Amino acid sequence: MTAHLTGVGLTAFGRQPGPDSLGWQCLAAELALTDAAIEPGEVDAVITGYSTVAGHLMPANLFAERFGLRPTTAFGMSVGGATGLAMLAQAVRLVESGAAGHVLVVAGENRASGQSRDTSTAVLAQVGHADHEVPLGGTVPAYYALMASRYLWTHGLRRDALAEIPVQMRNHASRKPGAQFQKPISVTDVLESRPVAEPLHLLDCCPVSDGGAAVVVSRSATSDRSLTIAGTGQAHCHQHLTALDPGNTGAAHAAHRALAEAGLTWEDIDVYGIYDSFSITVALLVEELGLTPAGRAGAYARAGAFETDGRYPMNTHGGLLSYGHCGVGGGMAHVAEVAAQLRHERGASQVGSCRSGYVHADGGVLSAHVGVVLRQGDGR
Amino acid sequence: MTGGDVPDWTQGEPRLVVIRCTRCGNRWYLPREHCPVCGNRKTRRAPAAGGGLCVAVTRLHVTTAGSTGADGPLGLALVELDEGPLVMGRVHDEALSPGDRARVAFCADPSGEQGQRALVPSFGREESA
Repeated sequence: MTAHLTGVGLTAFGRQPGPDSLGWQCLAAELALTDAAIEPGEVDAVITGYSTVAGHLMPANLFAERFGLRPTTAFGMSVGGATGLAMLAQAVRLVESGAAGHVLVVAGENRASGQSRDTSTAVLAQVGHADHEVPLGGTVPAYYALMASRYLWTHGLRRDALAEIPVQMRNHASRKPGAQFQKPISVTDVLESRPVAEPLHLLDCCPVSDGGAAVVVSRSATSDRSLTIAGTGQAHCHQHLTALDPGNTGAAHAAHRALAEAGLTWEDIDVYGIYDSFSITVALLVEELGLTPAGRAGAYARAGAFETDGRYPMNTHGGLLSYGHCGVGGGMAHVAEVAAQLRHERGASQVGSCRSGYVHADGGVLSAHVGVVLRQGDGR
Repeated sequence: MTGGDVPDWTQGEPRLVVIRCTRCGNRWYLPREHCPVCGNRKTRRAPAAGGGLCVAVTRLHVTTAGSTGADGPLGLALVELDEGPLVMGRVHDEALSPGDRARVAFCADPSGEQGQRALVPSFGREESA
């Protein structure tokens, strides 16, 4: 049985005080159900991502009650930044098994305005090892900075090798309504922004945002805009940075499982959504996936490989780096964008003749990986 | 596997401990119940000599307590111990860079109201240690 992506909802991201986490989830869910052209009563299953601000034990039940749903299956999920795609993968399994006809996958968080920056930093830093890493004083940017330091040293590169990546993401975002940051930036701007965790500076890091995202996964297409979820793949090889195997974090395993399930190779993929919490995240992922040679992601960005008309059109909404990052919804924005591209609804940012897309997310410190292959049409 | 008879810095002893699988010889740093390579449950803890290759350094300007400001940035490093495993520690040597030989020292955590976790590993270049 094939699962279909029938509805997509994505709010603007940014510092937008007002709605709480549930409020953002409801806004995104409304958009997704409208897009799928289904009624709330048709939703059989609800999967909801965690919110660090709300911190509730039963996020799916909480959301279902508030939205006005009485699903037969409801559960929350929590695998860091990979949660959105992991929820999508579980929705596919629910549909394939016959357990659900329509699954609503939803995430939203007032991460920017609902808590202080220091609280957000402290909560996220808990992906470090409680005894062996957190007491040293690190943060998520510090853990990624250590990966960036190792990467630059391994390949004999300077910090500017990564700077083209945020520049490209901002360039995409400048053409995307709803993006948190739209003013174009230069490599010099990235290099001269204030240091956060060297070698990463402010513009190497995604912002913290308020916003929400939701998708509907269905047994049958609901319109000719419905897409096929052709393959999903996961890998969970470690949790902590000091247990990570460089170059073999699980990213490639997840991608190859997703591609194999779809019966496709990289040659078939026309558009990409690659998790970009930091400039280094993109570099490590595209290189482990085998899209660019080792140490060359920045050079590929400089050459326009990730532009809409490049070899690997990527994060054409601006990604986490510029569209923004509201937690679980941040990784789902990549799904929304790749879906919009496959529906040929991106206007001036449309990737020409695109039929298949690949989305990849990681949680923690490249700890949890999920890849998803989306295709135009009904998959036959 | 917990502290056993060879406590490490997380239990207040100035020492890094490496865990070795008694079946396949795989070595690692963070506590695990089973060897992630062969699944064996029998492990042996041994103190690390404290030297290794520095593979990454960051200087952190924003911590969970906010901007480091006048205190200056907080240095963190990843070091591949000579015994194999990768460990994270602080940095007490401004010149420590990836590619340098590094050696661990243990210093009292200046932010340390954490009792038995008052000691933290910190790395410097081997010749300066």
